[in-house]
Amino acid sequence: MIQPQTLLNVADNSGAQKLMCIRIKGTGNHQYANIGDIIVAVIKEAVPNMPLERSEVIRVVIVRKCKELKRDNDMIIRYDDNAAVIIDQEGNPKGTRIFGVIAWELRQLNFTKIVR
Amino acid sequence: MRLEKCWFCSSTVYPGHGIQFVRNDAKIFRFCRSKCHKNFKMKRNPRKVKWTKAFRRLHGKDMTQDSTFEFERKRNRPERYNRNVTMETLKAIKKIDKIRVAREARHHTMRMKGKKGMEQKAAARELEQDISLVKAPLALREKSSLTLSKIKVKASQPQAEYPMEE
Repeated sequence: MIQPQTLLNVADNSGAQKLMCIRIKGTGNHQYANIGDIIVAVIKEAVPNMPLERSEVIRVVIVRKCKELKRDNDMIIRYDDNAAVIIDQEGNPKGTRIFGVIAWELRQLNFTKIVR
Repeated sequence: MRLEKCWFCSSTVYPGHGIQFVRNDAKIFRFCRSKCHKNFKMKRNPRKVKWTKAFRRLHGKDMTQDSTFEFERKRNRPERYNRNVTMETLKAIKKIDKIRVAREARHHTMRMKGKKGMEQKAAARELEQDISLVKAPLALREKSSLTLSKIKVKASQPQAEYPMEE
């Protein structure tokens, strides 16, 4: 349940550390973004001397969320934090390594590069 | 489909029940119901929470080591489906359960042995020392028929419940 103003951790090594969601991508008036949704975010905190800087506006895909996730086999899963991976326009991740756990759902949404 | 154990209370989690929490270091905590989940969020240690299996095993209230537990070990290799094996396994599960329950009951009776003796002793002592709660000490001294002599009675119930009647 990510919405504008939500702070997210960054789960890759692209240089950003914390993001703030600005907008959820997609037509219509989306309320919340879930795992696998692409959002537009601004970098709030970044590691120095990396290609990505603070207050850059980028696209990210959500990989973990604290709100429970329901699966088809009736499994309910919760993660420890809200996290996202920075991607470019085509959907390829900008970083080279991913940290932490990634949800299965991303595989079905063709983010195979992120899925380990 | 797999029957998991609740991380907090060690009961089985059936499909469709409970929540799984995945920590960022990829450790999965499974909970059977929100009671366990909430206790976990409060950072309670299951070994200190009295109603969990972890506590009971640690404090010797439940069996810890038994050969029946070997049957429930987690196996990661999937078995090839064999009808005979399945039928035999189902029969075995029932039998093993029966044996395990019988052993647990025996463990419980062993643990509770001597309780009746202790209860009777405590009741006799209470009779001696706290009879003033029932009758005033002065009354007891005047009328000696009211005192209770220290007779050993084979009673099935402790006599402390019934005050002396004139």
